[in-house]
Amino acid sequence: MSDIRRTVDARGQACPQPVILTRKALAEGGFDLLEVIVDDASSQENVVRFAQYAKCEIAGVEEDGTVSRILIRPGAAAPRAPEARVFAAPEPVPAPAAVGPDTTVFISSAGIGTGDEQLAALLMRAFLYTLTEAEAAPARIILMNGGVRLAVEGSEALVNLRRLTDRGVEILACGTCLEFYQLKDALAVGRVSNMYEIAGLLLQGRTLSI
Amino acid sequence: MDLIATFPSSQAALRAEQALKGTMAVELIPVPRQIRGDCGFCLLVQAGADGAIELRRCGAQELWRVTTTQADPSSRKVKSYERYS
Repeated sequence: MSDIRRTVDARGQACPQPVILTRKALAEGGFDLLEVIVDDASSQENVVRFAQYAKCEIAGVEEDGTVSRILIRPGAAAPRAPEARVFAAPEPVPAPAAVGPDTTVFISSAGIGTGDEQLAALLMRAFLYTLTEAEAAPARIILMNGGVRLAVEGSEALVNLRRLTDRGVEILACGTCLEFYQLKDALAVGRVSNMYEIAGLLLQGRTLSI
Repeated sequence: MDLIATFPSSQAALRAEQALKGTMAVELIPVPRQIRGDCGFCLLVQAGADGAIELRRCGAQELWRVTTTQADPSSRKVKSYERYS
């Protein structure tokens, strides 16, 4: 039995159009294999990265000169075969984050800026809420020092951090910091990371420091 | 329904949040641009008509009803706001 295949031809389309077309096709479903045709290296990279965020499998990338064909196998969350849609839950699968450039948000305190502490905490909550509503979510949020307090049990920021992970944003909390504040067992969202990984991520792509 | 409640100041919004917490689903968020251009906080609550009364009792200045529309699952959710009285 052969796979039901769908092709998205995104040649000549400027960023972020290839990613948008890929996301749309994945949301519609109805195929086993999606072939996305692009004609520049950054589009290829963005589509591959997006598919990975959307928990899809990259079945292959065929390159022919400047044109490349990316073969994507939808993840378990995506509607696959047409008949599967009949039994699909009425609640639509949340659309994965629109991936802009590879952006890391680095948060090193529980509030934004210095001044009144209560205001700083409020601004942080408001900032995280606004990120959940933003068109292009960051790829990841790194929490360090006091920032790890945002991701532990009882934090008022938890609800928005969880919404962000639902959108495909990765949350990394500094393990040393969690240990220092004796909060290692209280981490409620994201995963523990270390300085090697964090430094590597901060040096790659674009970092926004809060 | 989802309601946005604006307050005369950010402190007032914060006080109302503390007062209402536990009685209804309430979230302190920045005031949406469509409602007011300046910076400030408001409350986003899930409430019925009695919740609206409670919000006014806690000093809410304006109430706005939030409608969320989404053309298809892959497109962005669009929120619109209309005055609620």
